[in-house]
Amino acid sequence: MPASKTVPCPECGALNRVHRKTCRLCGALLNPAATNKPRLQKKILRRTDFIAASRANQSATRKLVMILLAIAAVLGYLIGWTAQVSMGEIPAQAKDPLLFFSQWGLIASLILITVSLLWTWIAFKRGDRIVMKMTGAQLASMDEEQVLYNVVDEMALAAGVSRPTVYIIETDAMNAFATGMSPARASLGVTRGLLNNLSRDELQGVIGHEMGHIVNWDIRYATAVSVLVGLIALISDSILRSMYYGGGTTRHRGGGRGKNNGAAILFVVMIVFAVLAPLIARLVQMAVSRQREFLADASSVRLTRNPHGLISALEKLSGETVQFKGANRATQHLFIINPFRNFTEKASSLMSTHPPLERRIQRLRNLGGK
Amino acid sequence: METGTWIGLGVIGAIVIWMISMYNGLVNLRNQVKNAWRQIDVQLKRRHELIPNLVEVTKDYMEYEQETLAKVIQARNGAVNAQGPEEAIAAEGILSGALGKLFALMENYPDLKANENVSRLMEELSSTENKIAFSRQFYNDSVMAMNNGVEVFPASMIANMFGFKQATYFEVPEEEKAVPKVNLR
Repeated sequence: MPASKTVPCPECGALNRVHRKTCRLCGALLNPAATNKPRLQKKILRRTDFIAASRANQSATRKLVMILLAIAAVLGYLIGWTAQVSMGEIPAQAKDPLLFFSQWGLIASLILITVSLLWTWIAFKRGDRIVMKMTGAQLASMDEEQVLYNVVDEMALAAGVSRPTVYIIETDAMNAFATGMSPARASLGVTRGLLNNLSRDELQGVIGHEMGHIVNWDIRYATAVSVLVGLIALISDSILRSMYYGGGTTRHRGGGRGKNNGAAILFVVMIVFAVLAPLIARLVQMAVSRQREFLADASSVRLTRNPHGLISALEKLSGETVQFKGANRATQHLFIINPFRNFTEKASSLMSTHPPLERRIQRLRNLGGK
Repeated sequence: METGTWIGLGVIGAIVIWMISMYNGLVNLRNQVKNAWRQIDVQLKRRHELIPNLVEVTKDYMEYEQETLAKVIQARNGAVNAQGPEEAIAAEGILSGALGKLFALMENYPDLKANENVSRLMEELSSTENKIAFSRQFYNDSVMAMNNGVEVFPASMIANMFGFKQATYFEVPEEEKAVPKVNLR
């Protein structure tokens, strides 16, 4: 895609062709000047239809997993290729010392894909417990957290799923998240600060948002994505490191054989890949999780039939001043508001996992809240 | 066999597979509706169990509201003994009205609200009211999905063939829609 023919969407960051008026992923207006056209507004309304939005979201995520697997495959091939070239194991029939079909590359790529799939499978089995450990959440006591359990039960009934396991994080920061591998085996965590500061209606809105993540199967996709992204990051990190330490020795070994040139090109390619791959992976991960936040907000309203609770909860959350230390880069996209957001700057760039809170509140108002 | 026969067999096979998937989808929807209905029942039972406890603890505080309490108990017994869904819906409507009045009156008794047992019971009961509303909402959502499945062509042909019927919505009775009147004297 040539860069001149595309425009990034201001809300989810997806690239759209110039002539488009609304974003192909989230349905947001690309050119705000065109707002007064009634035909367009109707189109946006249609896009808030939950089933269609959920379907679009899911197919986008499936594509994303495919992209990530493809990145894993290419990375694997490059690793194998580099190993084959630097070990001097170039097949005799190869016309060029660099451009040839590398069998090592194929094997390494297959191994990496297998490892990715295996990694995903493990995460699918134990993902929620790993996430809970990472965030330091404790199982909530049913006797002491009567209101929380009641609110969770209410939302589970409204969504028609069984009650998820309920966790509490003992921190003054306000946040909430959901994880798990299916609506039937989901977990939900809230912070103590959230329980202390929100009214019952606001808590219901937030729990409804998390329940939206659960019934839209976001939790599963989020884990799959974060697991694959984590794996790719791990591999490119180790490439960078091996290059840093191994670079010098290779140059000495290969000296005088005319391999110096090829090795230098290889290094450049590998470094570009090692830097680019995690960046690409992270950008895609972010784009997807922002659409999901909008969808979960809408699902919350569908469950509670009351946008006011979530609106005022988000307003309270936007006034948050306590930094939440329980989250890390691998879990940040699970939370209702970005735990790493910059408290002074409006986070509307491509690098953010969450849409700006004002935009979310504005969209909720469009759903009928005043 | 000739190509024509093969094509014919393929088309028939595709139609059979389509019919099976449509049929299974309709069975799923019907089970969801049934399950949603049972959920409402569970919540109504819970409400019936909680009311005597609440009346028991509030009796001593609310000496001047014996009439309201008696009405709540009466409405509760009426709901427990109701026969058939229509009678039950009406009786539950009366009970909701009586409970709403009791809750509003309890606002006048600060001692009562300060009692931890009472506040737990009230949270439990008002949450049960919410749960009834939410399970009813889910039931109606499921009914809509079921009715769409039964009515939309071409699935409607399968529905007719195997006798899938439209489900009925849980309509809110008129007396429940009205805001409970509170006599402040």
